[in-house]
Amino acid sequence: MVLELGPELADVALQAEEASGPTLENEGAAALAVGLAALAAGYAERGIGAAAVGAMAEDDDMFVPGLIMTVLPETLVILALVVVFIV
Amino acid sequence: MSVGASNPEYVNARVRSRRASLFADEDYRKLIRMGPSAIARFMEESEYEREINELGARFSGVDLIEYALNRNLAKHFQDLLDWSEGRLYDLIARYLRKFDVWNVKTIIRGIYTETDSEEIRTDLIMAGELDEATIDRLLEVEEIEDAIEMLNRTIYYDPLREAYEEFEETGALVALENALDREFYEHLLEDVSSGPLNEPQEGPEAKYIEFLQAEIDFRNARNALRLARSGADLDPASYYIEGGLLFDQTELSRLVGDYDALVDHIADNKRYGDRLSGAMGRLRDADSLIQFEHALDAALLEYADTLSSIYPASVSAVLSYILAKEREVENIRAIARGREVGLEESEIEEELVIL
Repeated sequence: MVLELGPELADVALQAEEASGPTLENEGAAALAVGLAALAAGYAERGIGAAAVGAMAEDDDMFVPGLIMTVLPETLVILALVVVFIV
Repeated sequence: MSVGASNPEYVNARVRSRRASLFADEDYRKLIRMGPSAIARFMEESEYEREINELGARFSGVDLIEYALNRNLAKHFQDLLDWSEGRLYDLIARYLRKFDVWNVKTIIRGIYTETDSEEIRTDLIMAGELDEATIDRLLEVEEIEDAIEMLNRTIYYDPLREAYEEFEETGALVALENALDREFYEHLLEDVSSGPLNEPQEGPEAKYIEFLQAEIDFRNARNALRLARSGADLDPASYYIEGGLLFDQTELSRLVGDYDALVDHIADNKRYGDRLSGAMGRLRDADSLIQFEHALDAALLEYADTLSSIYPASVSAVLSYILAKEREVENIRAIARGREVGLEESEIEEELVIL
Protein backbone atom coordinates (compact mmCIF):
# COMPACT_ATOMS: atom_id res chain seq x y z
CA MET A 1 0.00 0.00 0.00
CA VAL A 2 2.64 2.45 1.06
CA LEU A 3 4.92 1.27 -1.71
CA GLU A 4 2.30 1.96 -4.32
CA LEU A 5 1.74 5.45 -3.07
CA GLY A 6 5.48 6.18 -2.93
CA PRO A 7 5.93 7.98 -6.27
CA GLU A 8 2.84 10.11 -5.76
CA LEU A 9 4.00 11.12 -2.32
CA ALA A 10 7.34 12.18 -3.72
CA ASP A 11 5.55 14.27 -6.31
CA VAL A 12 3.52 16.07 -3.70
CA ALA A 13 6.59 16.68 -1.55
CA LEU A 14 8.61 18.09 -4.44
CA GLN A 15 5.80 20.38 -5.54
CA ALA A 16 5.39 21.70 -2.01
CA GLU A 17 9.07 22.58 -1.94
CA GLU A 18 8.84 24.47 -5.21
CA ALA A 19 5.89 26.45 -3.97
CA SER A 20 7.44 27.62 -0.68
CA GLY A 21 10.89 28.57 -2.01
CA PRO A 22 14.11 28.06 0.03
CA THR A 23 13.72 26.84 3.62
CA LEU A 24 15.84 29.62 4.99
CA GLU A 25 15.43 33.21 3.82
CA ASN A 26 18.24 35.73 4.18
CA GLU A 27 16.70 37.19 7.33
CA GLY A 28 16.40 33.74 8.83
CA ALA A 29 20.04 32.97 8.07
CA ALA A 30 21.12 36.27 9.61
CA ALA A 31 19.13 35.52 12.76
CA LEU A 32 20.77 32.12 12.95
CA ALA A 33 24.18 33.76 12.62
CA VAL A 34 23.47 36.06 15.55
CA GLY A 35 22.21 33.16 17.60
CA LEU A 36 25.29 31.09 16.91
CA ALA A 37 27.54 34.02 17.72
CA ALA A 38 25.71 34.48 21.01
CA LEU A 39 26.22 30.80 21.80
CA ALA A 40 29.93 31.13 21.08
CA ALA A 41 30.14 34.24 23.27
CA GLY A 42 28.40 32.36 26.06
CA TYR A 43 30.85 29.51 25.78
CA ALA A 44 33.82 31.88 25.90
CA GLU A 45 32.38 33.71 28.88
CA ARG A 46 31.91 30.47 30.77
CA GLY A 47 35.63 30.01 31.25
CA ILE A 48 36.43 33.67 31.75
CA GLY A 49 33.58 34.11 34.22
CA ALA A 50 34.74 31.14 36.26
CA ALA A 51 38.25 32.53 36.39
CA ALA A 52 36.97 36.03 37.23
CA VAL A 53 34.88 34.74 40.13
CA GLY A 54 37.90 32.86 41.35
CA ALA A 55 40.05 35.97 41.21
CA MET A 56 37.35 38.05 42.95
CA ALA A 57 37.09 35.50 45.74
CA GLU A 58 40.77 35.99 46.44
CA ASP A 59 40.87 39.74 45.99
CA ASP A 60 37.87 42.08 45.98
CA ASP A 61 39.70 44.66 43.87
CA MET A 62 39.44 42.30 40.95
CA PHE A 63 35.72 42.95 40.62
CA VAL A 64 35.92 45.63 37.91
CA PRO A 65 38.67 44.01 35.79
CA GLY A 66 36.89 40.68 36.20
CA LEU A 67 33.62 42.13 35.01
CA ILE A 68 35.24 43.77 31.99
CA MET A 69 37.09 40.63 31.02
CA THR A 70 33.96 38.56 31.39
CA VAL A 71 31.87 40.64 28.99
CA LEU A 72 34.61 41.08 26.36
CA PRO A 73 33.42 38.13 24.22
CA GLU A 74 30.10 39.93 24.02
CA THR A 75 31.69 41.90 21.13
CA LEU A 76 31.24 38.74 19.08
CA VAL A 77 27.49 39.15 19.26
CA ILE A 78 27.67 42.86 18.44
CA LEU A 79 29.75 42.14 15.34
CA ALA A 80 27.37 39.38 14.32
CA LEU A 81 24.51 41.81 14.72
CA VAL A 82 25.97 43.82 11.80
CA VAL A 83 24.84 40.99 9.51
CA VAL A 84 21.24 41.67 10.43
CA PHE A 85 21.49 45.22 9.08
CA ILE A 86 23.29 44.20 5.91
CA VAL A 87 20.72 41.71 4.61
CA MET B 1 36.53 8.79 40.96
CA SER B 2 34.35 11.84 40.79
CA VAL B 3 32.21 12.66 37.80
CA GLY B 4 31.20 15.87 36.11
CA ALA B 5 32.98 18.63 34.29
CA SER B 6 36.15 20.01 35.80
CA ASN B 7 36.68 23.70 36.45
CA PRO B 8 40.32 24.47 35.72
CA GLU B 9 39.67 28.19 35.08
CA TYR B 10 38.27 28.86 38.52
CA VAL B 11 40.88 26.86 40.36
CA ASN B 12 43.66 28.37 38.30
CA ALA B 13 42.59 31.94 39.01
CA ARG B 14 42.47 31.30 42.75
CA VAL B 15 45.69 29.35 42.81
CA ARG B 16 47.59 31.99 40.87
CA SER B 17 46.38 34.67 43.20
CA ARG B 18 47.56 32.70 46.22
CA ARG B 19 50.79 31.90 44.50
CA ALA B 20 51.41 35.61 44.13
CA SER B 21 51.00 36.17 47.86
CA LEU B 22 53.74 33.70 48.84
CA PHE B 23 56.87 35.13 50.39
CA ALA B 24 59.36 36.51 47.94
CA ASP B 25 63.06 35.77 48.06
CA GLU B 26 63.74 39.16 49.66
CA ASP B 27 61.42 38.21 52.51
CA TYR B 28 63.59 35.21 53.25
CA ARG B 29 66.64 37.46 53.44
CA LYS B 30 64.77 39.60 55.95
CA LEU B 31 63.64 36.55 57.93
CA ILE B 32 67.16 35.17 58.15
CA ARG B 33 68.15 38.14 60.28
CA MET B 34 65.26 37.73 62.73
CA GLY B 35 64.85 35.67 65.85
CA PRO B 36 61.97 33.20 66.32
CA SER B 37 59.63 35.69 67.97
CA ALA B 38 60.30 38.30 65.29
CA ILE B 39 59.59 35.68 62.63
CA ALA B 40 56.30 34.88 64.33
CA ARG B 41 55.44 38.56 64.36
CA PHE B 42 56.37 38.88 60.71
CA MET B 43 54.13 35.93 59.91
CA GLU B 44 51.32 37.46 61.88
CA GLU B 45 51.30 40.37 59.50
CA SER B 46 51.08 38.11 56.47
CA GLU B 47 49.16 35.10 55.20
CA TYR B 48 49.60 33.30 58.48
CA GLU B 49 47.76 35.77 60.65
CA ARG B 50 44.88 33.53 61.60
CA GLU B 51 47.00 30.49 62.43
CA ILE B 52 49.43 32.48 64.54
CA ASN B 53 46.57 34.05 66.48
CA GLU B 54 44.82 30.74 67.03
CA LEU B 55 47.91 28.94 68.24
CA GLY B 56 49.60 31.88 69.91
CA ALA B 57 48.04 31.18 73.28
CA ARG B 58 49.18 27.58 73.41
CA PHE B 59 52.62 27.63 71.90
CA SER B 60 55.50 29.98 71.56
CA GLY B 61 58.77 30.40 69.73
CA VAL B 62 59.72 27.88 67.09
CA ASP B 63 56.90 25.48 67.97
CA LEU B 64 54.38 28.20 67.29
CA ILE B 65 55.92 28.86 63.89
CA GLU B 66 56.04 25.22 63.01
CA TYR B 67 52.46 24.42 63.96
CA ALA B 68 51.17 27.55 62.29
CA LEU B 69 52.99 26.58 59.11
CA ASN B 70 51.57 23.07 59.16
CA ARG B 71 48.09 24.28 59.78
CA ASN B 72 48.25 26.93 57.09
CA LEU B 73 49.57 24.40 54.61
CA ALA B 74 46.74 22.02 55.43
CA LYS B 75 44.19 24.80 55.09
CA HIS B 76 45.40 25.85 51.66
CA PHE B 77 45.60 22.35 50.30
CA GLN B 78 42.22 21.44 51.68
CA ASP B 79 40.90 24.51 49.87
CA LEU B 80 42.29 23.18 46.61
CA LEU B 81 40.26 20.01 47.07
CA ASP B 82 37.16 22.01 47.98
CA TRP B 83 37.30 24.12 44.84
CA SER B 84 38.10 21.57 42.26
CA GLU B 85 35.65 19.27 40.57
CA GLY B 86 35.66 16.37 38.19
CA ARG B 87 38.88 15.17 36.70
CA LEU B 88 40.81 18.09 38.13
CA TYR B 89 39.83 16.95 41.62
CA ASP B 90 41.12 13.47 40.89
CA LEU B 91 44.45 14.74 39.69
CA ILE B 92 44.93 17.07 42.65
CA ALA B 93 43.72 14.56 45.22
CA ARG B 94 46.08 12.01 43.82
CA TYR B 95 49.00 14.36 44.29
CA LEU B 96 47.95 15.46 47.75
CA ARG B 97 47.96 11.86 48.88
CA LYS B 98 51.55 12.49 49.74
CA PHE B 99 50.24 14.05 52.94
CA ASP B 100 48.27 10.91 53.66
CA VAL B 101 51.47 9.00 53.23
CA TRP B 102 53.22 11.46 55.53
CA ASN B 103 50.47 11.17 58.14
CA VAL B 104 50.35 7.40 58.08
CA LYS B 105 54.14 7.28 58.32
CA THR B 106 54.13 9.67 61.25
CA ILE B 107 51.45 7.69 63.04
CA ILE B 108 53.25 4.41 62.50
CA ARG B 109 56.46 5.94 63.76
CA GLY B 110 54.59 7.35 66.71
CA ILE B 111 53.14 3.96 67.57
CA TYR B 112 56.55 2.40 67.17
CA THR B 113 58.16 4.82 69.58
CA GLU B 114 55.08 4.82 71.85
CA THR B 115 54.62 8.54 71.59
CA ASP B 116 51.60 10.16 73.11
CA SER B 117 48.81 10.52 70.55
CA GLU B 118 48.38 14.25 71.20
CA GLU B 119 52.03 14.73 70.40
CA ILE B 120 51.72 12.78 67.17
CA ARG B 121 48.74 14.86 66.18
CA THR B 122 50.68 18.10 66.22
CA ASP B 123 52.97 16.70 63.54
CA LEU B 124 50.22 15.67 61.18
CA ILE B 125 49.28 17.71 58.13
CA MET B 126 45.61 17.29 57.48
CA ALA B 127 45.73 17.90 53.76
CA GLY B 128 45.18 14.51 52.25
CA GLU B 129 42.28 12.28 51.40
CA LEU B 130 42.00 10.44 54.71
CA ASP B 131 39.30 12.09 56.77
CA GLU B 132 39.63 13.23 60.34
CA ALA B 133 37.64 10.33 61.74
CA THR B 134 40.01 7.79 60.25
CA ILE B 135 43.01 9.71 61.51
CA ASP B 136 41.46 9.93 64.98
CA ARG B 137 40.94 6.22 65.10
CA LEU B 138 44.45 5.62 63.82
CA LEU B 139 45.81 7.74 66.64
CA GLU B 140 44.02 5.66 69.22
CA VAL B 141 45.43 2.26 68.27
CA GLU B 142 48.40 0.84 70.08
CA GLU B 143 49.72 -1.75 67.66
CA ILE B 144 51.03 -1.16 64.16
CA GLU B 145 49.09 -4.17 62.94
CA ASP B 146 45.81 -2.67 64.17
CA ALA B 147 46.65 0.58 62.44
CA ILE B 148 47.13 -1.28 59.19
CA GLU B 149 43.80 -3.07 59.71
CA MET B 150 42.24 0.35 60.16
CA LEU B 151 43.31 1.33 56.66
CA ASN B 152 41.68 -1.65 55.03
CA ARG B 153 39.51 0.34 52.68
CA THR B 154 42.34 2.48 51.37
CA ILE B 155 44.90 1.85 48.68
CA TYR B 156 47.59 1.49 51.32
CA TYR B 157 46.17 -1.66 52.85
CA ASP B 158 47.58 -4.32 50.54
CA PRO B 159 51.12 -2.97 50.28
CA LEU B 160 51.24 -2.37 54.04
CA ARG B 161 50.02 -5.89 54.70
CA GLU B 162 52.82 -7.28 52.59
CA ALA B 163 55.42 -5.02 54.12
CA TYR B 164 54.26 -5.88 57.61
CA GLU B 165 55.61 -9.39 57.27
CA GLU B 166 58.99 -7.98 56.44
CA PHE B 167 58.70 -5.57 59.32
CA GLU B 168 58.00 -8.43 61.70
CA GLU B 169 61.15 -10.19 60.56
CA THR B 170 63.51 -7.25 60.64
CA GLY B 171 61.88 -4.85 63.06
CA ALA B 172 62.78 -1.91 60.84
CA LEU B 173 60.15 0.61 59.79
CA VAL B 174 61.86 1.16 56.44
CA ALA B 175 59.85 -1.62 54.85
CA LEU B 176 56.54 -0.04 55.78
CA GLU B 177 57.62 3.43 54.76
CA ASN B 178 58.87 2.25 51.40
CA ALA B 179 55.65 0.43 50.76
CA LEU B 180 53.72 3.64 51.38
CA ASP B 181 55.99 5.73 49.17
CA ARG B 182 55.87 3.30 46.31
CA GLU B 183 52.14 2.98 46.49
CA PHE B 184 51.83 6.75 46.32
CA TYR B 185 54.15 7.27 43.39
CA GLU B 186 52.83 4.37 41.41
CA HIS B 187 49.27 5.61 41.76
CA LEU B 188 50.28 9.03 40.50
CA LEU B 189 50.62 7.90 36.93
CA GLU B 190 47.76 5.46 37.01
CA ASP B 191 45.26 5.90 34.15
CA VAL B 192 46.99 8.98 32.76
CA SER B 193 49.83 7.00 31.35
CA SER B 194 49.30 3.54 30.01
CA GLY B 195 52.92 2.68 29.44
CA PRO B 196 55.87 4.46 27.87
CA LEU B 197 54.72 3.90 24.29
CA ASN B 198 51.14 5.04 24.30
CA GLU B 199 51.43 8.20 26.32
CA PRO B 200 49.99 11.35 24.83
CA GLN B 201 52.79 13.16 23.04
CA GLU B 202 51.57 16.71 23.45
CA GLY B 203 48.90 18.72 25.22
CA PRO B 204 48.36 19.36 28.91
CA GLU B 205 48.12 15.68 29.74
CA ALA B 206 51.56 15.02 28.30
CA LYS B 207 53.04 17.83 30.38
CA TYR B 208 51.39 16.51 33.51
CA ILE B 209 52.96 13.13 32.89
CA GLU B 210 56.30 14.79 32.19
CA PHE B 211 56.17 16.59 35.50
CA LEU B 212 55.28 13.48 37.46
CA GLN B 213 58.01 11.53 35.73
CA ALA B 214 60.46 14.23 36.68
CA GLU B 215 59.34 13.99 40.28
CA ILE B 216 59.72 10.20 40.29
CA ASP B 217 63.10 10.45 38.60
CA PHE B 218 64.33 12.97 41.14
CA ARG B 219 63.09 10.80 43.96
CA ASN B 220 64.93 7.81 42.53
CA ALA B 221 68.06 9.88 41.98
CA ARG B 222 67.93 11.16 45.53
CA ASN B 223 67.50 7.69 46.99
CA ALA B 224 70.25 6.31 44.80
CA LEU B 225 72.67 9.08 45.78
CA ARG B 226 71.89 8.64 49.43
CA LEU B 227 72.48 4.92 49.17
CA ALA B 228 75.68 5.38 47.22
CA ARG B 229 76.90 8.00 49.67
CA SER B 230 76.13 6.17 52.85
CA GLY B 231 77.41 2.89 51.50
CA ALA B 232 74.58 1.19 53.36
CA ASP B 233 74.12 -2.41 52.49
CA LEU B 234 70.51 -2.21 51.38
CA ASP B 235 68.89 -3.62 48.32
CA PRO B 236 68.42 -0.66 45.94
CA ALA B 237 65.61 -2.49 44.16
CA SER B 238 63.38 -2.14 47.19
CA TYR B 239 63.69 1.63 46.94
CA TYR B 240 63.08 1.79 43.23
CA ILE B 241 59.92 3.55 42.13
CA GLU B 242 58.53 2.65 38.77
CA GLY B 243 57.34 5.17 36.22
CA GLY B 244 60.43 7.32 35.83
CA LEU B 245 62.59 7.63 32.76
CA LEU B 246 65.99 8.24 34.28
CA PHE B 247 66.72 4.77 35.55
CA ASP B 248 65.36 1.33 35.14
CA GLN B 249 65.67 -1.12 37.93
CA THR B 250 68.77 -2.97 36.73
CA GLU B 251 70.55 0.27 35.89
CA LEU B 252 69.86 1.61 39.33
CA SER B 253 71.14 -1.49 41.09
CA ARG B 254 74.31 -1.33 39.02
CA LEU B 255 74.89 2.40 39.50
CA VAL B 256 74.41 2.51 43.25
CA GLY B 257 77.71 0.67 43.61
CA ASP B 258 79.60 3.33 41.68
CA TYR B 259 79.09 6.88 42.85
CA ASP B 260 80.82 8.67 39.94
CA ALA B 261 79.02 6.61 37.33
CA LEU B 262 75.75 7.48 39.02
CA VAL B 263 76.48 11.21 38.89
CA ASP B 264 77.53 10.88 35.24
CA HIS B 265 74.38 9.00 34.42
CA ILE B 266 72.22 11.80 35.78
CA ALA B 267 74.28 14.51 34.08
CA ASP B 268 74.16 12.75 30.71
CA ASN B 269 70.41 12.45 30.66
CA LYS B 270 69.12 14.70 27.91
CA ARG B 271 65.94 15.67 29.65
CA TYR B 272 67.46 16.80 32.93
CA GLY B 273 71.15 17.22 32.10
CA ASP B 274 70.94 20.91 31.23
CA ARG B 275 68.50 21.79 33.92
CA LEU B 276 70.64 20.25 36.61
CA SER B 277 74.04 21.17 35.26
CA GLY B 278 74.72 23.73 38.00
CA ALA B 279 73.66 21.34 40.70
CA MET B 280 75.69 18.49 39.21
CA GLY B 281 78.79 20.64 39.24
CA ARG B 282 78.32 21.36 42.90
CA LEU B 283 77.65 17.72 43.62
CA ARG B 284 80.87 16.69 41.96
CA ASP B 285 83.23 19.00 43.78
CA ALA B 286 81.49 19.47 47.11
CA ASP B 287 80.41 16.54 49.13
CA SER B 288 77.24 18.10 50.27
CA LEU B 289 74.31 15.93 49.39
CA ILE B 290 71.98 18.42 51.02
CA GLN B 291 72.99 21.08 48.52
CA PHE B 292 72.24 18.72 45.72
CA GLU B 293 68.87 17.80 47.15
CA HIS B 294 67.99 21.47 47.42
CA ALA B 295 69.09 21.90 43.83
CA LEU B 296 66.79 19.04 42.83
CA ASP B 297 63.93 20.72 44.66
CA ALA B 298 64.64 24.01 42.94
CA ALA B 299 64.88 22.31 39.56
CA LEU B 300 61.56 20.56 40.08
CA LEU B 301 59.96 23.84 41.09
CA GLU B 302 61.31 25.63 38.05
CA TYR B 303 60.18 22.75 35.90
CA ALA B 304 56.66 22.98 37.28
CA ASP B 305 56.65 26.73 36.64
CA THR B 306 57.61 26.29 32.99
CA LEU B 307 54.94 23.68 32.52
CA SER B 308 52.30 25.86 34.10
CA SER B 309 53.02 28.71 31.71
CA ILE B 310 52.85 26.45 28.66
CA TYR B 311 49.29 25.38 29.38
CA PRO B 312 47.72 28.11 31.53
CA ALA B 313 44.44 26.35 32.24
CA SER B 314 45.69 22.93 33.21
CA VAL B 315 46.53 21.16 36.41
CA SER B 316 50.21 22.15 36.11
CA ALA B 317 49.63 25.54 37.73
CA VAL B 318 48.11 23.82 40.74
CA LEU B 319 51.03 21.45 41.04
CA SER B 320 53.49 24.29 40.82
CA TYR B 321 51.59 26.11 43.57
CA ILE B 322 51.64 23.04 45.78
CA LEU B 323 55.40 22.76 45.34
CA ALA B 324 55.97 26.47 45.90
CA LYS B 325 53.89 26.48 49.06
CA GLU B 326 55.71 23.47 50.42
CA ARG B 327 58.98 25.15 49.69
CA GLU B 328 57.89 28.27 51.53
CA VAL B 329 56.88 26.27 54.57
CA GLU B 330 60.11 24.34 54.54
CA ASN B 331 62.19 27.47 54.13
CA ILE B 332 60.53 29.30 57.00
CA ARG B 333 60.88 26.23 59.17
CA ALA B 334 64.56 25.95 58.27
CA ILE B 335 65.12 29.60 59.13
CA ALA B 336 63.31 29.33 62.46
CA ARG B 337 65.07 26.13 63.46
CA GLY B 338 68.38 27.48 62.26
CA ARG B 339 68.01 30.64 64.32
CA GLU B 340 66.98 28.62 67.34
CA VAL B 341 70.15 26.56 67.35
CA GLY B 342 72.23 29.64 66.52
CA LEU B 343 73.45 28.93 63.00
CA GLU B 344 75.23 31.66 61.06
CA GLU B 345 73.19 33.58 58.50
CA SER B 346 75.22 32.14 55.65
CA GLU B 347 74.72 28.63 57.00
CA ILE B 348 70.98 29.09 57.12
CA GLU B 349 71.01 30.48 53.62
CA GLU B 350 72.56 27.26 52.43
CA GLU B 351 69.67 25.35 53.89
CA LEU B 352 67.10 27.28 51.90
CA VAL B 353 65.71 26.38 48.51
CA ILE B 354 65.84 29.66 46.62
CA LEU B 355 65.41 29.89 42.89
